[in-house]
Amino acid sequence: MATLQLQNITKSFGPTPILKDVNLSIEDKEFVVFVGPSGCGKTTLLRIVAGLEIATEGSIIIDGKDVSRDHPIDRGISMVFQSYALYPHLSVFENIAFPLRVAKRPEEEIKDRVHKAAAILQLEERLQHKPGQLSGGQRQRVAIGRSIVRNPKVFLFDEPLSNLDAALRGDMRVELSKLHKSLDTTMIYVTHDQVEAMTMADRIVVLNGGVVEQCGTPMELYLHPRNKFVAGFIGHPRMNFVPAMVSRVDDDGLHLRINEHNTMCLPVASEGIRSGDHVELGIRPEHMQLDEEGPIAMHVEVLERLGAHSMAYGKINGSDPFCASLPAMAEVREGTTVRLSIKPENAYVFDENGIALQRLGALQPA
Amino acid sequence: MTHASGDTLAYQGESRGPSQKQQARLNGLMRSQATFAWALIAPAALYLMLVVAWPLVETIRLSFTNANIGGEAYIGTANYEKLLSSRKFSQTISRTFYWMFLSVSLKIILGLIGATLLNAAIPGRALFRMLVMPPWIVPVAIGCFGWLWLYNGHFGIISGVLQYIGILDGPFEFLAYKNSAFYAAVVTDVWVGLPMVTIFMLAAMQGVPRDLYEAAYVDGASRWYRFRRITIPQILPVIITMSILSIIWTFNSFEIIWILTEGGPRSATTTLIIDTYKMAIANFKFGQGAARAVIVVTLLSVFSLVYLFALHQIKKRFEAV
Repeated sequence: MATLQLQNITKSFGPTPILKDVNLSIEDKEFVVFVGPSGCGKTTLLRIVAGLEIATEGSIIIDGKDVSRDHPIDRGISMVFQSYALYPHLSVFENIAFPLRVAKRPEEEIKDRVHKAAAILQLEERLQHKPGQLSGGQRQRVAIGRSIVRNPKVFLFDEPLSNLDAALRGDMRVELSKLHKSLDTTMIYVTHDQVEAMTMADRIVVLNGGVVEQCGTPMELYLHPRNKFVAGFIGHPRMNFVPAMVSRVDDDGLHLRINEHNTMCLPVASEGIRSGDHVELGIRPEHMQLDEEGPIAMHVEVLERLGAHSMAYGKINGSDPFCASLPAMAEVREGTTVRLSIKPENAYVFDENGIALQRLGALQPA
Repeated sequence: MTHASGDTLAYQGESRGPSQKQQARLNGLMRSQATFAWALIAPAALYLMLVVAWPLVETIRLSFTNANIGGEAYIGTANYEKLLSSRKFSQTISRTFYWMFLSVSLKIILGLIGATLLNAAIPGRALFRMLVMPPWIVPVAIGCFGWLWLYNGHFGIISGVLQYIGILDGPFEFLAYKNSAFYAAVVTDVWVGLPMVTIFMLAAMQGVPRDLYEAAYVDGASRWYRFRRITIPQILPVIITMSILSIIWTFNSFEIIWILTEGGPRSATTTLIIDTYKMAIANFKFGQGAARAVIVVTLLSVFSLVYLFALHQIKKRFEAV
């Protein structure tokens, strides 16, 4: 059992505010990912939970107990660092045993627990090696092993995969998800990589400029981003934003003029929107379709054939960058113009403040 | 040059291998390369022969003679036999090792403490770091003359303060008594050698990744535990290196003792190096002095070998990191 509440967490370094009034409630056994661009405060938030930083204001409650001023060891957390922070002069065994030695556990127990952790992480063959003799993935596992032996209530991970190559990162994502299932504990994971967030999280917390932009399951964030930032951050390749003007508002939703010749009617809540307002249309690349009658004309500059599908990068309306995901064998060439269409149900509209207008229909398959 | 010969070979290899003429040219080239290499190292080699090899050989030769201001004659190993049977010399040797042990341990322990304090996040840290430097920057001789005044019984601040607080009844000449002179020399030697040890240890401590400490902190390790199990092992190569270098420098430390006491009173501060100087230069007994110098060289060679061996071990141990 380990629930965790962050209440009104504020943190400033001197006059610079890093976190502004962060509130969050994390359930027992939940895998929560803090995601955001560099400098958004996600690592600082994790370090505050760990006890490596003290919040300027606010409290951290673990299992109903306020631990804001407690030493990390009394919080029942353990942390895996971005650099792994392995002790280079100690063997793998001693690295994993380190927290137990600090706690002065009996030798028998240390052996037993280290071997159990090593078995989970497939490190048994490597126990006598020094960290320098291990591959990046193995070092990562040693760092996780050091966390496991303590049986913490909450695991904290600070960008643990960022030092690994792409292929290994994919493998480790799966490993970590499996580990979460087998250990069945609360985990908080920090990353700047939205793919990691989408694939591993039970719940994602999107941070930007020290503020929680949105918090929800991966699909909630993908389908119902609260604002332009979240819409642009979640989903790969990122959402296209096209400036548009409201030409009419009626019961069907908003009628938008997207270029000189075309308007589109989008089923979104239109409260507070009047004709003549400037809004932005959000279109995910994967929702675009080749359509000779389509309202969007895209000049293709670069075409990436990825096998399963093709990515077209170019411009619309002369200058707005645009990206579309097309079928693998789409007959498109670089330097030509293609016409595209989108189902109105799949498009998003953001008002002048970047807030998403609520969609009235369900998302349709592209 | 290598390039040119390589090209020639490759070109010839396509047809039927190098012709005799080509081969001759190649041989000539390689010969001239070797000559060129010798020419390049010649100045350094010559320099070393003149200032290291020749004096060394000459010293060894002298040690088997009774050379003095009046002339020299071969006397075999008599100088060494005399040394080995001399009680005074064995006292000098044990004094030298005691001097070395005391001074080096103090430098290392104080250096470690100093570096730890300077590495701590305290206000005005930069100022403290700067204040460590003067003993190192000030010429040793000038520093020693300063200490000469400090140790002075009538005008020195140490005697004055000790009288003021009532520890001493009257003026005390630190350099006039056997024990106090010896320990006063140790203090000055530590004062001169400490900054470098401290700065090197500080540099090593700053090189320890912060993550290691944070990881240990999260795991509940106390300050002392982190120092013992992270800092010390991480900076061990520097501790070992500084220890051995300090041993060599302290063993060789001449001007500090010479300025303070000239090896006195009654040989209380005569270390091997002072003894050698006194015998050879002050008493003009070059042969006996040379025998002592050979012992100095032998001991220093042993220390250097230990140093090289330790470096090798350190490299082996940390190579895999």
